[in-house]
Amino acid sequence: MDTEFTELTETSTIQKLENLLLVAVPRDLTDSEVLRLRRQVLQEIRRYRSRWVLLDFSRVDICDSFFGRFIQSTARMAGLMGAKVVVSGLQDAVIETMVELGMTLPNIHAVLDLDDALALSRTEPSAEESVYLPGATEAELMDWEDGPEAGPPGAAEA
Amino acid sequence: MEERRFSISNIVDVVRARRSGLEMALKMGFHQAEANKVAVVISELGRNIEQYAGSGTITVRAHDKYIEIIAEDEGPGIPDVERVLAGGYTTSKGMGLGISGSRRLMDEFEIRSAVGKGTRIRAVKRLW
Repeated sequence: MDTEFTELTETSTIQKLENLLLVAVPRDLTDSEVLRLRRQVLQEIRRYRSRWVLLDFSRVDICDSFFGRFIQSTARMAGLMGAKVVVSGLQDAVIETMVELGMTLPNIHAVLDLDDALALSRTEPSAEESVYLPGATEAELMDWEDGPEAGPPGAAEA
Repeated sequence: MEERRFSISNIVDVVRARRSGLEMALKMGFHQAEANKVAVVISELGRNIEQYAGSGTITVRAHDKYIEIIAEDEGPGIPDVERVLAGGYTTSKGMGLGISGSRRLMDEFEIRSAVGKGTRIRAVKRLW
């Protein structure tokens, strides 16, 4: 049973697609695997000079508050490298639970799928203006984002 | 009635328990979104055990019309249950939603806690 979980990080794939870093987030990650994945993402942003990071959650069917924190912290760290994080592929069931749990990710932009993420990254190839500092107020984050309608990830698509 | 009991002392135990709880809920006929909530509650309660008490157990029971989750530990207990239920009470790891958010996801939610003795949380999700 243990190997089933410890091997999972091997299946997380990070690949470059145009100016987008595509991260397929595996399901059932332990906390240490989540932290390892976040470090890998930062490394790859630097390596490819990525402006956009797409965290694809289509394989994730359980998203607890620790995962929410992972999304938020990854976005802040990537932001300090000039990259903007976009979340995609959240399943309907996951979205419902996240919202009812009270998980709000005000600085995170969500799209339905990879196609929408690519379209977004093409319209706005530079994400330099999106750099913000940890500790920014919610109002500042809202300014930085597209506004309140950005809302919790995927909420608009639910 | 099916019952599964999980010893919790690390995150791999939590991951295993929530996966198993998800399967149980789906087998009972819960909608995917409801089963997902059951799994997330197991995850949040399991994390609390691991983080604050070090070890404990989670028991999941499939009844005819509802699923029951019982999280028990002999840890330090919760000094201010009301504050925890109100949310925003957190150490650095979560979002302060563990207990308050879990209560929102369930139909029944009870906490019994004694400082220095431990905590028992019982949560129920009904099958409509």
